[in-house]
Amino acid sequence: MTKLYEPSLPKLMEAIAAEAGGMKGIDRRNFLKGGIAAVAGLSSVQMIPKANASTNLPPNLPEWQRHLGSGVVAKPYGEPSEFEDLQRRTVPWLTVDAASSISMTPLQDLEGIITPSGVVFERYHGGIPNVNPDQHRLIIHGLVERPLVLTMDDLKRFPSVSEIRFIECPANGGMEWRGAQMEALQFTHGMLACCEWTGVKLSTLLEEVGVRPEGKWILAEGADAAGMSRSIPLEKALDDTIIAWGQNGEALRPEQGYPLRMLNPGWEGNTSVKWLRRLEIGDQPWHHREETSKYTDLMPDGRSRRFTWVMETNSVITSPCPENPLKEPGFLEIRGLAWSGRGKIKAVDISFDGGVNWERTELKGLVLSKALTQFSFKTKWNGQPWLLQSRAIDETGYVQPTLRQLRDERGGWSIYHKNSIHTWNVTETGDVFNVQIS
Amino acid sequence: MFKSLKFPVVAAVLALSGLATAGPLGIGSTATAEMIAGWDIDVRPDGMGLPDGEGSVAEGEGLYEAKCASCHGLFGEGEGRWPVLAGGEGTLDTLHPEKTVGSYWPYASTLWDYIYRAMPYPVPQSLSHEEVYSIAAYVLYLNDIVGDDFVSNKDTFAEVKMPNEENFFIDNRPDVNNERCFKNCADPSKFEIVTTINGVTPTGHFKEDSGVAANHYDGNPSAVSESGISTEKNITKVALSEGATLGRGVYDMACQACHNSGIAGAPKVGDVAGWVDRIGQGMDTLNDHAINGYQGADGVMPAKGGNMALSDDDVVNAVAFMVESSR
Repeated sequence: MTKLYEPSLPKLMEAIAAEAGGMKGIDRRNFLKGGIAAVAGLSSVQMIPKANASTNLPPNLPEWQRHLGSGVVAKPYGEPSEFEDLQRRTVPWLTVDAASSISMTPLQDLEGIITPSGVVFERYHGGIPNVNPDQHRLIIHGLVERPLVLTMDDLKRFPSVSEIRFIECPANGGMEWRGAQMEALQFTHGMLACCEWTGVKLSTLLEEVGVRPEGKWILAEGADAAGMSRSIPLEKALDDTIIAWGQNGEALRPEQGYPLRMLNPGWEGNTSVKWLRRLEIGDQPWHHREETSKYTDLMPDGRSRRFTWVMETNSVITSPCPENPLKEPGFLEIRGLAWSGRGKIKAVDISFDGGVNWERTELKGLVLSKALTQFSFKTKWNGQPWLLQSRAIDETGYVQPTLRQLRDERGGWSIYHKNSIHTWNVTETGDVFNVQIS
Repeated sequence: MFKSLKFPVVAAVLALSGLATAGPLGIGSTATAEMIAGWDIDVRPDGMGLPDGEGSVAEGEGLYEAKCASCHGLFGEGEGRWPVLAGGEGTLDTLHPEKTVGSYWPYASTLWDYIYRAMPYPVPQSLSHEEVYSIAAYVLYLNDIVGDDFVSNKDTFAEVKMPNEENFFIDNRPDVNNERCFKNCADPSKFEIVTTINGVTPTGHFKEDSGVAANHYDGNPSAVSESGISTEKNITKVALSEGATLGRGVYDMACQACHNSGIAGAPKVGDVAGWVDRIGQGMDTLNDHAINGYQGADGVMPAKGGNMALSDDDVVNAVAFMVESSR
């Protein structure tokens, strides 16, 4: 007589884990809350009567401590715990096609100042090219003494630098010019990331090719389907531009330009051309599509600013935020991020009343030039509603402006470079909403 | 006699050491004229980079209608939310600025450069120089910038002046000056608190009752977008088979650029009339065409939509999604 198959506990847990692995977001959380209990109700699982969440809590010995876990290289390239839900997200109606679109970094779920490579926001104009590094070349030509073609091996022979710098799309917050629209931090401020970038300074490459005296501008061009191109002035190239192949300790991710990208610290992300294949030195700018039709700033009088490269000082409170509401009264560390394309953050202030009165916060951790900088304010929340704001000041003395100041100057129909003070409305219940004060 | 001997020796030493051409670190190889010519596609306002060849408005009309109009509209008005190319004059200082080639772009050279490098969107750098001259001429004609007899080439094109050129100025930020005030910095009695409209953004990942999921590229709900009011048509919601459900993601990623717009003669998803005859050929034929490519009377289907990273199953699932959504 054949014995009926009875799944062993490890097998059953494996099956459950596999099913949960396919779930995302709320499904996953609902599962984690209710799934185990539901499974425990099945007759076939009576052999594991202790398989419900509470048995893992003290004074009981948790399930994961009662048997061996997986061994080394079970995952040769590791990934976040299955209990985490760290994801880039997009707002599908923003753009017409995924290959020319944007997704946002989950700032609400991140710690410290380094953005993990897998969740750095994406911006493509023609999708992600699948570049074979052995067949990738960087050509540098134009007004130079020695036009060069460089392999990835060639590039890695140059003296290298590693620097922590933020990168931000100039459209970050762009949906908020006309009014509060996005109901989550990820969507109001998530076109932002900060990584350690490794590569060769562009100035080193320019010495190698020998720029002729009349050379003043550099056209940077990508190997993507859009052939993304931007004109970069020589002063920036000689100052701090990096031609990078490394990101957070490993090769660039395809999403960030593998195997080679430009990085213009502090400047609008679009100038940091990804999948870089060509640098042409010229005597004047090219005025290409992404620096004329796009990434220019239309003013209320119908005239437009161009070459608006610098990302001005900005800040936002990341906890609390709509995704991280307040759950109980008592002690609270308010946390946030500040950054400036002009240098270091000098100070960040906080307001609980919509900008009537302000207090100083503490900066914590590394305070680096053109990098995300953490700020902190310790307080108590006892159910009172707040209009919570942060205001950053950079080392040049520039003070992050109010939304009204920006609108008075640039009108309400702008798209790019919105760096105004942001307001979270914390309600009596601890829920947090994106609001604007006008 | 010494003289005639000396120079060849010096030249030979230089050639051996590479010192004559190398930079300070001697890394890399010389980029040959031939290499550079293949990649140097850029065009500048002064005409630098414009190649030989020419094209007329008349030739451009047919090319534009075949290769551009499915996204940009017959008259440059833009289909769905694809970019508007023509019109918009006099709107830049209004509350509804319309930034088109004619109303906004400062230089005609940008048009040539961009069409050549990035258009048509699914098949970039597929147009000949003559085709780009023709299409660019036609787009300028649609904007009343040139007449219908305009023939564009590297001489005439560099002469075109765009109406909005003088209205661009160099960045003059910082343009606002906030004070670092600490007490009584604003008058709360004048506060007007503006909240968001619920349901505009995806919040399903942190609100249990939201029902609006992030990440799925299904083209709805329509709402105010960066470029104005969305008019994109929703794909009809139908009950999908398992394969079609899986195929939806593939469609979003690899197929919708053409099959949501009709580029290259592609039947649009949801266009029942456009699909009925194709569906009549049977799924095997449709799958074969999608996997291996097909040139028909109405248009062209590149093998796997040009994305060879897709598996055959991915393609079959995407076909199932499109067919089931188009009956």
